Amino acid sequence: MGNLTESEVIIGVPGPDRTIQDSVNEASKSALKIAVGHLNFHYGPRQVLFDISLEIPDRKITALIGPSGCGKSTFLRTLNRMHETVNGTRAEGEVLLDGQDIFAIDVVRLRRRVGMVFQKSNPFPKSIFENVAYGLKINRMANRSAIAEIVEKSLRRAALWDEVKDHLHKSAYSLSGGQQQRLCIARALAVDPEVLLLDEPCSALDPVATAKIEDLLLDLVSSCTIVIVTHNMQQAARVADYTGFFLLGKLIEFNKTDVIFKNPAQKETEDYITGRFG
Amino acid sequence: MGATAAEIRSAPIPAASGRVLRRRLFDYFGWGLCALAFLLLSSAMIWILVVVFLRGFSALTWNVMTHVTEGTGGGLLNAIEGTVVLAFGGILLACPPGLAAGIYLAEFDRGRLAPVIRFLSDVLVGVPSIVIGYFGYVTMVVALGWKFSVAAGSVALAIISLPYICRTTEMSLRQVPRPLREAAYALGAGDGRVTMGICVPSALPGILTGILLALAISVGETAPLIYTAGWSSYLWTGHLTNEPVGYLTYAIWAFITEPFSSAHALAYAAAFFVTFFVLVISIVARAVLDENAGWRRLRSWERRKA
Ligand SMILES: Nc1ncnc2c1ncn2[C@@H]1O[C@H](COP(=O)(O)OP(=O)(O)OP(=O)(O)O)[C@@H](O)[C@H]1O
Ligand SMILES: [Mg+2]
Repeated sequence: MGNLTESEVIIGVPGPDRTIQDSVNEASKSALKIAVGHLNFHYGPRQVLFDISLEIPDRKITALIGPSGCGKSTFLRTLNRMHETVNGTRAEGEVLLDGQDIFAIDVVRLRRRVGMVFQKSNPFPKSIFENVAYGLKINRMANRSAIAEIVEKSLRRAALWDEVKDHLHKSAYSLSGGQQQRLCIARALAVDPEVLLLDEPCSALDPVATAKIEDLLLDLVSSCTIVIVTHNMQQAARVADYTGFFLLGKLIEFNKTDVIFKNPAQKETEDYITGRFG
Repeated sequence: MGATAAEIRSAPIPAASGRVLRRRLFDYFGWGLCALAFLLLSSAMIWILVVVFLRGFSALTWNVMTHVTEGTGGGLLNAIEGTVVLAFGGILLACPPGLAAGIYLAEFDRGRLAPVIRFLSDVLVGVPSIVIGYFGYVTMVVALGWKFSVAAGSVALAIISLPYICRTTEMSLRQVPRPLREAAYALGAGDGRVTMGICVPSALPGILTGILLALAISVGETAPLIYTAGWSSYLWTGHLTNEPVGYLTYAIWAFITEPFSSAHALAYAAAFFVTFFVLVISIVARAVLDENAGWRRLRSWERRKA
């Protein structure tokens, strides 16, 4: 009984100072894509996110920064419920995608709408073509010519087409690290997600490959909402419209990137940005 | 108070003092021991191979490969055929449950059955194969009335292969990197899809190696077959039950103690075939396991060239 009431209270129920309806209204008013309200996250007995509330604007790049271990990846993974693939995790609070509770919609549909790119490129041991087509195939898209078309479009969007168009059927492992990462982005783009989550996508790449991916993100943002975790302050400053600063599982500050970098409201933010800790 | 890198670099290299000499002697001594151990091990192995191959070769005639056994002479065609049929029959029977159990152990290790399966497969590995032969005799040959037969022999070999297939499948699946699974989950794939579409293909070389290992073990088994397959000097007519079959290990076991040189020759030839099969299977298994790595190396080399 105790459990039941607890989950009733916690999941998808309005927090003390706002209601779902409020968020829905705001979403339609101010191009809001994801609204997170009072999110708490536990790995087993250990709580790693504390009462995170945050609104991610539609078709903008939002960067999440903060020292290692502060919970950025955990937060990001909650947004498409990837945490559910790890045993013993528990997320409480509300996460609304276009005003819809993500915990109430089918997880497959959710992950199709909210794609993810990981820190280390992780192509499947298949051909370049099959990697990009994978998401389409599992979403029961059977038409071969349509698949080929989407694969090409996705590779173009990921700025990889020209480099791979002549050997689409080679193994994905024949690509360089930067190309593999762009392949992973193309793979995520193939199902045409509304939101793209990227967890330190450039941390294993050289500056040239990083610049390519940053350009790519700036291109993509006209058609989809991007949330990127990065350790690279310059990267956040270069690409992000909004920036959130995490510290020890709390969201310290969230604002326009300019404000965060030039005129932060919190002392911790300023200390971190100016390199005094982290 | 540690020395800086510059200090270490500029320190004079000590002359071959007593300590250095001692160290060098100790080094040689260690290498000597290693070489000795290697020699001991490899000489035993080489000895076995040399004996088996020399005697086997001298006993090997066209007749042996094309004729069936007659008494304690003739050929081994019936035994070669029987060994192939029994070993493949056993693998065929062991694969479905072995693979399923391995996948279950790796992917659902919180499942309630997991500890039970793990315990059973550990027990199975430990059971002496002659006990499995005896078990097969009591249950299949007698109680089920299959008599000495391909069916009973294959089931006995399947029981022996099962834990190997199960465990190697589990181990290879566990080695599939988590990021690969996550990539599939993030695209909306369900558990079944991730397991069958991503993990199993990635783990395939390891799984195949396990199956080949089980095959090699089956080819070399004697005890479980004596009580289940019996022995026959004729070619197999295709009946699954009520028809005993010959197999190579029986020929070794039974003919080496006969007082006739024709029987000895058959035993040597049979030993040659068994060893040869096992060797070939092991080499194929290695090749399968290396194939991915080799292929990847080739590709990265191609890339560098381009
Ligand atoms: N699978 C897990 N099980 C238990 N604890 C975990 C797990 N993953 C992460 N944690 C813990 O949760 C906290 C937040 O981790 P998270 O990976 O979200 O940090 P992060 O901000 O992404 O760090 P980094 O910048 O190093 O990637 C850390 O203290 C970490 O130890
Ligand atoms: Mg992280």
